[in-house]
Amino acid sequence: EKNITLDRATRIELSCRLDKYSHLKRLQVTWKRGNETIRHMNKTENSWSIQLRILDYSNLGGYSCTLKGEEEISAMFHLQVPKIEGKEKPIVSYEGDTAVMICKSFGYTPIAWTWYMTNGSEQIAINDSLLADKYVINRLSANVTHLKILKLTKEDDGVYWCEAAFELGKSKGKLQLRVLSLMVPLKPFLAIVAEVVILVTIVFLYEIYSKKKEKSAEDEKEFDQVEQL
Amino acid sequence: AFPKGVAIFFKEIQDFFGTSYSEIAWVSSIMLATTYGAGPISSILVNRYGSRPVVILGGLLCGIGMVSAAFCTSILQLYICVGFITGFGLALNLQPSVIIIGKYFLKRRPIANGLAMAGSPVMLCTLAPLNQFLFDNFGWRGSFLILGAILLNCCVAGALFRPIGAATASVKTQVAEEGKDALKEEVTKDAMEMSSPRNITMETKTEEEGGKGCCEKVNQYLDFSLFKHRGFLIYLIGNVLMFLGFFAPIVFLAPYAKHIGIDEYSAAFLLSILAIVDMIARPTTGIIANSKWVRPRIQYFFSFSIAFNGACHLLCPLASGYTGLVVYSIFFGLAFGMVCAMLFETLMDLVGAARFTSAVGLVTIAECCTILLGPPIGGTLIDTFGDYKYMFIKCGAVMVLAGTFLFIMNYYNYHALAKEEKERKAKEEDPKSVRTENEGRNNWNKETAQEGPELEPLREEREGLKKEVNGT
Repeated sequence: EKNITLDRATRIELSCRLDKYSHLKRLQVTWKRGNETIRHMNKTENSWSIQLRILDYSNLGGYSCTLKGEEEISAMFHLQVPKIEGKEKPIVSYEGDTAVMICKSFGYTPIAWTWYMTNGSEQIAINDSLLADKYVINRLSANVTHLKILKLTKEDDGVYWCEAAFELGKSKGKLQLRVLSLMVPLKPFLAIVAEVVILVTIVFLYEIYSKKKEKSAEDEKEFDQVEQL
Repeated sequence: AFPKGVAIFFKEIQDFFGTSYSEIAWVSSIMLATTYGAGPISSILVNRYGSRPVVILGGLLCGIGMVSAAFCTSILQLYICVGFITGFGLALNLQPSVIIIGKYFLKRRPIANGLAMAGSPVMLCTLAPLNQFLFDNFGWRGSFLILGAILLNCCVAGALFRPIGAATASVKTQVAEEGKDALKEEVTKDAMEMSSPRNITMETKTEEEGGKGCCEKVNQYLDFSLFKHRGFLIYLIGNVLMFLGFFAPIVFLAPYAKHIGIDEYSAAFLLSILAIVDMIARPTTGIIANSKWVRPRIQYFFSFSIAFNGACHLLCPLASGYTGLVVYSIFFGLAFGMVCAMLFETLMDLVGAARFTSAVGLVTIAECCTILLGPPIGGTLIDTFGDYKYMFIKCGAVMVLAGTFLFIMNYYNYHALAKEEKERKAKEEDPKSVRTENEGRNNWNKETAQEGPELEPLREEREGLKKEVNGT
């Protein structure tokens, strides 16, 4: 199986080559796209190839070559648009703070970027000119896009999509935003501070206690000595 | 350990503030620089107030620094909060904890040093996954908040630093003002009777310099006369040289591994191997250094470990493939641990517990420059030649040079000390030479070879906890 990434209209040649089983006779090779058979095939000594013109999204997909002889062998080619990577782990931010989400395209330059917000099951495009004090979309470089969400609230929590538009189609990356209230980290913080204060107090109290014990022991000694005198 | 641990957050913070990688790296550098650069200030404070208040203050500062960092809105504020304030707090932690080992221990001091320094790799190992966990759950702001709270635990460790006696500084002022030849011996007492005895340390140097009152006062706080001390100068020059090549290999080990073609996780694993070997090596070195064969010649052992470290680096470019690098990491971890464990022990051995406070302050500020220069120089070497091996050769060469220098100079120093000891003994038998007695005691103080009763290692592991948050 092979994955081939294409970002613009092009001509491409796919070929299937036979190395080992060349002793097999009566071979029938078919190139298919889905269930459709492709007619125009070039044949050389032990390879079969097709030439394709990829013009738009409909030309992409899975192409397979099948060799039917005594055994059936097939190979699969996946023609696809470049993949966009989002972030697997959620981005954590706080209410009232700013969140920055970044999407990158590796190697291929998209024509345009669009950001989507998920509302229930719908995907709503984010219009930064409409809500300029809430969303800021920046295209830092040709392959990188920035979404800045200001003044976060609990409602901003959820899944976001960054979509890159290529000549041949669109590709999406998923990002997740989690908005926490300030109370969330505050609880462990206060717990640890309390633990520190308790430990320090215990240490100091123990020291004062042991000093008092020593003092009273010394006083007793002095008292004994005085008595002896 | 802490500056390295915080590096996990840098990617996110970089995205958040939209800064470049080098600008973020400054945070770590400022923190490290302040930790070492504020050494003299720390020493002065310890001389004046004793170890415990300084450590508690340091813990508070660290905590405040990180908590305020959680609310930062610009990279400059991060520099100040995480860099300066937390760095300064760390400095206030590092010096007193090293100093207090000298005050508490004598017979088993190398072991104590080794154990205490072992805290650093332990913390590094735990800090990395902890930071990742905190970050996944709380984002970087929440993590800073919680890290601040964790750093407050330094106060707890500080509270356990029970002072042995009254603050020596106030007594020194008295002695200097009276200007008498009040020669009192330093007595180290058992932990049980800690509250009662007064430790009165003598500063003959302050009296000999007489004359300028200002100089005397400065000397009380920070003993600049150490620069006349032969052993101290040897240590200073040797160490300054060594630090030029000390940290760079660690910084560049993972990138070098990736450069040869090893995947990210295995490269990170190399560092883990290093840390684990380091963890075991430090206390072991402490125990070895304490044995009766090594302890009198501990300086030789120290120079040997530095040279060994250098040899490892020189051989590294020969290592091919992953197994070669694993072997290198193991030896490097071993050498690194050996050097770190004895870093302060040798200084104590040369200077004596009395002047160690000031010594450690002066040494750290001198080391500060070379520590900071080391990795960038290595980086420029890599960039200009495009090959990592020159960096390793440079580090190896510098360290072998430092090791040999220390070895030769200490050989000379030991001889000179033995000669002075002989002279002192000869003159002590002569009752008429009171004048030279002064000089004799002077030399005697250089090595606190007091066979006092052994002190219980008071909660050694707490001191280990202390070391966790600090540099090496």
